[in-house]
Amino acid sequence: MAANDGKSKLSFLPSGSTLHKISALLTLLLLILAFSFTSPAFLTVNNGLTVLLQTSVIGLLAIGMTMVIITGGIDLSVGSVLALAGVVAGLVIKAGVPVIPAMALGIMAGAACGFVNGLVITKMRITPFVATLGMMMIARGIALQLTGAAPISRLGEAFGTLGNGTFFRVVEMQDNGFPKVIFAGVPYPAVLLIIVAIIGAFLLQKRQIGRHIFSVGSNEEAARLSGVNVDRTKIWAYTASGALAGLSGMVLMSRLVTVQPNEGVMYELDAIAASVIGGASLMGGVGSISGSMIGSFIIGVLRNGLNMAGTSAFIQQIIIGIVVIGAVYIDQFRNKK
Amino acid sequence: MLDTASQNTPLIQMMDIDKQFGGVHAVQGVSVDLYPGEVVGVLGHNGAGKSCLMRMLSGAMTLSGGQINVNGTTVEFKSPQDAKKYGIETIYQTLALANHLDAAANLFLGRELKTRFGNLDEARMYAETKEALRQLNPNFKNLKDPVSKLSGGQRQVIAIARAIYFQAKVLVMDEPTAALGPSETAMVADLTIRLKNEGIGIFLISHDMHDVFDLCDRVIVMNKGRNVGAFAIGDVNKDDILSLIIKGTLPDDWTPRGQAA
Ligand SMILES: Nc1ncnc2c1ncn2[C@@H]1O[C@H](COP(=O)(O)OP(=O)(O)OP(=O)(O)O)[C@@H](O)[C@H]1O
Ligand SMILES: [Mg+2]
Repeated sequence: MAANDGKSKLSFLPSGSTLHKISALLTLLLLILAFSFTSPAFLTVNNGLTVLLQTSVIGLLAIGMTMVIITGGIDLSVGSVLALAGVVAGLVIKAGVPVIPAMALGIMAGAACGFVNGLVITKMRITPFVATLGMMMIARGIALQLTGAAPISRLGEAFGTLGNGTFFRVVEMQDNGFPKVIFAGVPYPAVLLIIVAIIGAFLLQKRQIGRHIFSVGSNEEAARLSGVNVDRTKIWAYTASGALAGLSGMVLMSRLVTVQPNEGVMYELDAIAASVIGGASLMGGVGSISGSMIGSFIIGVLRNGLNMAGTSAFIQQIIIGIVVIGAVYIDQFRNKK
Repeated sequence: MLDTASQNTPLIQMMDIDKQFGGVHAVQGVSVDLYPGEVVGVLGHNGAGKSCLMRMLSGAMTLSGGQINVNGTTVEFKSPQDAKKYGIETIYQTLALANHLDAAANLFLGRELKTRFGNLDEARMYAETKEALRQLNPNFKNLKDPVSKLSGGQRQVIAIARAIYFQAKVLVMDEPTAALGPSETAMVADLTIRLKNEGIGIFLISHDMHDVFDLCDRVIVMNKGRNVGAFAIGDVNKDDILSLIIKGTLPDDWTPRGQAA
């Protein structure tokens, strides 16, 4: 028994999913290897940073999605909530509110949508699929209605900082007077993603709320009988998902320096795919932030690598679809055992 | 622990309890009480309403009618937490374990131990769980496996350990040994007696007549949702109880059997 004690510290909660995570990580490495051969520009520092940037939006969504999926639910509304949060931020900036509080309001709008999802699911006893499908339409409708479906531009330079700023950018003046970018810098969104992922993983693994999220998805009735406040736990998860959708909305709109009310369509599917590829089970009780980050990067690397190899967007869809089915197939295989 | 006052006030009084599910009348006008340091057996055929009656005491189910008193005060349990606050712990027939979590996570589910920063104190929960399980099953290994990977008996041991860990005053045991082997069953019997001697009141649902006669001070028998008899265990024998369980009445020639049984 003593021998057991030491090693098992590592593989706590989703111990069954460790294997899945390793296979997902291997897939990611294989993809990177394959793309390095097909396009020489793929395996460069700068392209790596680009992938980080492109993946950050899906990654942020996937963190919230994973929490919801672990409770045994699903959040189809995140793509629309992302847009609505952007619209809220854009409108209040136009009304004269400075960028940072405006973005905070945008994130709060996202959290409010998630909170409503949670209430509808727990108090009205509507299934998560239907409740968040409704919210998907409602949030998109509000975003389009508020803007008349037109983008909001000229939001000022500060609005673009979150999406376009970088740390450690190195630029050198050349003899001919032109600046040369030596290192493109680590994009803010990538740093944000890492920070949020660490917080998310910490909450799931080390805090009571995380434990309760797992228990609710594992056996809701057992959780209730054990004294877990099931409704509060679910509302928490949907609110977190909504807030993160809001945050990714800020990142995306800031990158475009424009608020697009029709941005983010079908992003929920990428986020779900990322979670599932990373080993989250739609039956609930299983999933991890690290897995979902690997899943997000598999999707990000696939998109980027296929782009560089000149593959059409349609073929990309097909390939990502196949990857999702493959991942779920492995998931089922694992659950049967 | 056994002062005279608590000897005279029942720990639990369930009075005229009713439970309906649509047209199904699962429990009808059942009354039963429980004193400190006694084991009351709740017997009956499958579907008689035993679990429903006990789940209302555990706060897992709301009452359709009737009243529950704890130490003489009327209570209204809206959730299992409410019952736990009064020291009522339950071993559910379904065990109520979260399959993806390990033994420690299940034992402390809803009542997690935390470090001073509010994080989960895994080390302490693990140590406490190990100790709690050791008392019931010295061979308990794979403490870190999700409980879905454990045997039925091991799972039941976790459910039992959870109920007794939190210093219950009232223990509801709904077929606690259904999945256990002979030595674990004997250990649960010893445990029941030890807890009873500590002054804990115990409701025991069981289909095992040996357990019933070995452990219970009194029994109530339910038949189709009704209480068809409440006896001191010395006043009835096995045949009387079987007759009550099956037919809902005592044998025609029945008279109290004194201490003869
Ligand atoms: N949640 C529920 N919804 C509807 N009917 C229920 C529910 N729970 C129990 N019942 C019904 O109530 C009746 C009593 O069930 P209960 O579980 O209390 O029986 P029991 O005496 O514990 O039986 P067993 O010995 O098989 O455990 C049964 O007819 C059952 O079908
Ligand atoms: Mg029962």
